[in-house]
Amino acid sequence: MFSDLSALRPGSSLLCPPDSESQGPLFDRVKPAYSPCSENFKLGDRSFSRQYAHIYATRLMQMRPLLSERAQQKWGVGVQIRNLCDLQMGEQCCIVGTMFKHMELQPSILKEISEEHNLLPQPVRMKFISESDQLILEDELQRIKLEGKIDAGTFVTGSVIAIYGAENNDGKFTVEDFCTADLPLQTPRPSLTADRFVLLASGLGLGGSHGDSMLALQLLVDMVTGQLGDQGEQSGAATISRVVLAGNLLSQSTQDKEASTRAKYLTKKTQAGSVEAIRLLDELLLQLVASVPVDVMPGQYDPTNYTLPQQPLHRCMFPLSTTYPTLQLTTNPYQASIDSLRFLGTSGQNVSDIQKYSSLDCHLDILENTLRLRHLAPTAPDTLGCYPFYQKDPFILEECPHVYFSGNAPFYMSRRIEGPDGQEVLLVAIPEFCSTRTACLVNLRTLECEPISFSSFSAEEDEETEMNVSH
Amino acid sequence: MTAKNGLITDSFQVVKKTQAEPAPLTVREKELQTLEQFDLDWRFGPCTGIGRLQRWERAAVHGLNPPKEIKELLLRAGADPEYTQCLWRDYPL
Repeated sequence: MFSDLSALRPGSSLLCPPDSESQGPLFDRVKPAYSPCSENFKLGDRSFSRQYAHIYATRLMQMRPLLSERAQQKWGVGVQIRNLCDLQMGEQCCIVGTMFKHMELQPSILKEISEEHNLLPQPVRMKFISESDQLILEDELQRIKLEGKIDAGTFVTGSVIAIYGAENNDGKFTVEDFCTADLPLQTPRPSLTADRFVLLASGLGLGGSHGDSMLALQLLVDMVTGQLGDQGEQSGAATISRVVLAGNLLSQSTQDKEASTRAKYLTKKTQAGSVEAIRLLDELLLQLVASVPVDVMPGQYDPTNYTLPQQPLHRCMFPLSTTYPTLQLTTNPYQASIDSLRFLGTSGQNVSDIQKYSSLDCHLDILENTLRLRHLAPTAPDTLGCYPFYQKDPFILEECPHVYFSGNAPFYMSRRIEGPDGQEVLLVAIPEFCSTRTACLVNLRTLECEPISFSSFSAEEDEETEMNVSH
Repeated sequence: MTAKNGLITDSFQVVKKTQAEPAPLTVREKELQTLEQFDLDWRFGPCTGIGRLQRWERAAVHGLNPPKEIKELLLRAGADPEYTQCLWRDYPL
């Protein structure tokens, strides 16, 4: 564990007078092998003159063979896998298709502008599910309603699954069992000799109205760059090989929607809130990149495109820190191979979207769900903004990651899950730093994660303020 | 009303107009027809918004075995939009 490393050196070297002759021990930061794999999330020329039907078609094309294989593994080799147009009534068979959940409460622009309904504006809802939600399975040509042993709450629109059952008299399909594509194959984890850590943090929330977390942020930067603590702490910090910032580097308050709709003559002298915040971020990153490689992922409130996959933040916004080669500006679904361990993660938009449209609440359960469905963001493009892909769906997982994370969770959670072919994945829900002041440290050797939190006590309590860095 | 001792065709001769045969399709029209059939084939996914060659390549990548004659036809055609773009090329989005 990280806390054990810093406790290894006995005695506190901070209390002895500085030695003017010798420089003190130098700790070199570990350098792991790193290769970025986010190429299929980078978009070149973007063309929006296509409909979204292509994504669903390619999703089904790609997942159908995988699901047929899983269905045969689960229900026997002789199971009949049928297209919906060939269904016979009463025959036990298996169908493969995309799930569609019909929700009454789903916000619909047509209902809003329809004059017949005269709808009052809806109150802001956290979840759009209700008891009357209907599940429908669609394949290339037809769709069929589902009923039976299937819980509408746990599924979201856009997930591709295989269902076993029979069609009954009134045209609905009675479900007896279902199966998902489950985890893809994983390259085995290499065994490392020494402990190495990767720091995951998200939701820094710069440019926000309250600066409470700025001290905690500065403590984090000082800890990682080795300027905090005595020799034990510094040698511990030298084992942090990389920092990944998973989105929402700017706070939500920098997104000023009114400025875009107000008349230009009123907004002439005002500056967008994000300009100052990006400057703060650049200065913060400058301190970090001078010492450790940093991967910066954009999030929901950052100045990049809204649709997934979010493109990297532009390097012209960071004039001070782009001079260092250690700064990597990456896409939103982020994939990289650090010391042959595969990292895959998002800034949390896919997880919070699934949370709104299903009965699942825990971020880790949703992460596990997406992994088992073998798809990063099944709700794209239905309720989550997405680029109209036509060739391939890049959100389908080809290879199983070793560490799968999502940013901006309300609190820290992590869990290890096992796959059917011996895969081991560490799921991490990275907490939002501006509210929880907690970041995560992933140990590459043991594939475990621990939180690291920075807190400070306010001056009102005591005469002197105390800084507390707890593991 | 049937006549008593015969069929009506005894009094009214059968004069059948031989239908003129439709003009044989030119090679270009035949090729365009095969391409339209390729567009409407449900196995290869939606056809709107992308070029025919892109759709062929997508089908090939996903292992759906699209017929090779279509690809040869498209490569021979060059830049003619009637060959390269799909059936609904005049309708935006």
